[in-house]
Amino acid sequence: MKDLNIDEILERAAQARHPVDPALLARVSTSIAASLRPVRPLASASTLAWVLLALTTAIAVVSALALGPLGIQKLSGAEIGTIFPVLGIFTWLAAQVCVAEMTPGSVISNPAMRLLTLLVIWLAVDAIFFHDYGMNLFLPQGIPCLRAGLIVAMPTGIAAWLVLRRGFAVDRSAAGLSAGTLAGLAGLIMLEIHCPNFHAMHVMVWHTAVVPLSALAGFIVARIPKA
Amino acid sequence: MPPDADLESLMVRYQQGDLSAASELITRLSPALHRFFMIQFVSRRYADDLLQETWLRIHQVRHTYRPGEPVLPWLYAIARHIRVDQYRKTRRVETREQQVERLPETAAFDRAGGVDLNALLAGLPESQREVILMLKVSGLSLEQVARATKSSVGSVKQKAHRAYDKLRELLVGAGFNK
Repeated sequence: MKDLNIDEILERAAQARHPVDPALLARVSTSIAASLRPVRPLASASTLAWVLLALTTAIAVVSALALGPLGIQKLSGAEIGTIFPVLGIFTWLAAQVCVAEMTPGSVISNPAMRLLTLLVIWLAVDAIFFHDYGMNLFLPQGIPCLRAGLIVAMPTGIAAWLVLRRGFAVDRSAAGLSAGTLAGLAGLIMLEIHCPNFHAMHVMVWHTAVVPLSALAGFIVARIPKA
Repeated sequence: MPPDADLESLMVRYQQGDLSAASELITRLSPALHRFFMIQFVSRRYADDLLQETWLRIHQVRHTYRPGEPVLPWLYAIARHIRVDQYRKTRRVETREQQVERLPETAAFDRAGGVDLNALLAGLPESQREVILMLKVSGLSLEQVARATKSSVGSVKQKAHRAYDKLRELLVGAGFNK
């Protein structure tokens, strides 16, 4: 039996009438009619992604400038020319995933896998540029960085939610995960501009941790049922 | 299945508050949606409930449809989400497995050699059944199914290929040797 034969069988079976109770359809129409009014469609996906990118970058840069751009002042031209474009690309991708997650039927692949890939690439970039693996003051210097990154992630997450609140029509958890990732990237960018500690383990653990922790927070918040 | 361009203009009119467009969409798309739920849930009562819930959800989030985009992936993504949600809630009171267990190889065929779609697809795993239904009954393209199910075109093709292998086995086993 060939695929063509199966196609024919399925087509024949699909053509069989499948009536739906007219009373049910009438009930649905009546319910809809009661609250039918014009609605404004969502802005285009690219517009929303640009807005998210701009918001994330602005919050990260303003926060870093407020805390002092001590880190970026110590980075070489090559390091600045690699680290920040990479973070920019990540932020753009995260913004696109966020927008896709808020809209049913968008072209999107697994956001959790994207997050994982993003983290692996970021760790590889860290390994290329930061070679001091000393663990001096690992915890005392790490915790404040993690805290500062998460504090910056919070307003970014709120801003992302404000931009995307009309969406989130289907999978709220995945949308929360994506928005949390984007917010975490704002924290990470801020730390790369602000933090002058270039110990590899400090950057890889404490700076990077802002992204998955923020993503997790977004995932959890999105799962809270609506009142 | 109605052409997508036609559905797009109906959807836009629905967003503009046109009740006749909303009714037209409900009338035209409900049979395929109902079948989508029937094949997954067996019971007509469940399918009726899910159809109603899906339309109410569509109504709530109709602004998330972007004019110019295909309607069917948007619609089926919502329907699929409602179905998965319901699946989790009910833990399948009427299990598909029960139906598969009692499904004899030839139950899918009537005396005239026709095929009962529900019974035939019951032999497939859920993810494959969903893909075949969208492709062959609801008339979505591979790319549209990928969008509705949040997967890649490659993954949809693979599921369809596996489903065809299984269907071939079922049909040959039932004496459908073409």
